[in-house]
Amino acid sequence: MRLIIDGRKKAVSHRGDIASLLKKLKVRREEVVVKLNGRLAPETASVRANDTVEVLRVVFGG
Amino acid sequence: MANPAGKLSKCFKCDDDAVIRLHYCERSLCAAHFVRMFDKRFRSTVREFRMISKGERVAVGLSGGKDSTVLLNCLHELSKDLPMELVAITIDEGIAGYRNATLQIAKKQAKKLGIEHRVISFKKEIGKTLDAILREQDTEHPTRNTGHTTRNTGHGTRNFLPCSWCGVLRRGLLNRAARELEADKLAMGHNLDDMAQTVLMNIFRNEPSRTSRLLDPPAKGPGFVRRIRPLLRTPEKETAVYAMVRGMDMNYKECPYAQSAFRQLVRSQLNDMEELHPGTKYKVLGSFLAMEKAPGEHPARARFTACSSCGEPGSSALCKFCEMTGKAAR
Repeated sequence: MRLIIDGRKKAVSHRGDIASLLKKLKVRREEVVVKLNGRLAPETASVRANDTVEVLRVVFGG
Repeated sequence: MANPAGKLSKCFKCDDDAVIRLHYCERSLCAAHFVRMFDKRFRSTVREFRMISKGERVAVGLSGGKDSTVLLNCLHELSKDLPMELVAITIDEGIAGYRNATLQIAKKQAKKLGIEHRVISFKKEIGKTLDAILREQDTEHPTRNTGHTTRNTGHGTRNFLPCSWCGVLRRGLLNRAARELEADKLAMGHNLDDMAQTVLMNIFRNEPSRTSRLLDPPAKGPGFVRRIRPLLRTPEKETAVYAMVRGMDMNYKECPYAQSAFRQLVRSQLNDMEELHPGTKYKVLGSFLAMEKAPGEHPARARFTACSSCGEPGSSALCKFCEMTGKAAR
């Protein structure tokens, strides 16, 4: 799958749902929203090999 | 519509693809049902705390970030059923590379909704930008070139973090502007995360009088415009999802001074707790509200007096605003 996080693109091998992907990336689910193939998706959504997952940080100070 | 590439979770209420999982109630919602739930909760919070009465003039602290932008939009929607006069106030602290983008969003939002908008700057009101104040304070204390400033209180050295400078000065200017605009209420974009963090921070620092000020009792003292927080039951992540679903312009950039805040540490730990025990933030808020409703005089209830220097309301003889601006002027 293709991963976009903090504006950077990487290729990542992952099987499972978005929740387990966030755990693997050490990203707190409370602090991000995730787009799966360009659409907002809950952490329960499954990720497939040719998907694009974008992790957007939306919770921070300021 | 089914997503061809990934199996999305379905909405709890219909067959549409979900856009968010609400872990605290173990439900997923599609965009339409999420917006409906969000709006309903917003309105019930305003009702529950009797935040706004018909015909009132409500000033909205509009930073241009996601929370205040969502707040302004929700109040504008609410004003169609509960007539109120809205006016937006933006404080430009003068943070290079950060504030200008959100200031533009604030201007655009207010214009789009046809809401009167006032921009107040640190530079004009205090004579210095926040950047300049912090630079000077760091120069004054060269051993601590970390965005922290210090003072000697006679009880050892105490930090003034950038967020303390910004928070005190911004709150003071917002209150003054709201009063000058003859607002009945001052609406702030504080969300559930902010509230839970503040309650915990006040416990960690043993500052119960600060907690007692969170709900702002109606008769608070001369000069105060009563603050209301209609998003206090709304998790921060949900304001972001709401803004995205409703197609609002957003700038998801972190304030350059935010990393130095004690709040950052509490935020991270609270989010870890929320992940392990969904609903933690609601429970922290619930504990605070239960204590507020407990009968009898609150032992640490803050009392407000007029500041001996500027006459603005404060919790001590010399208000925090004057203490800090006096220090900044030195």
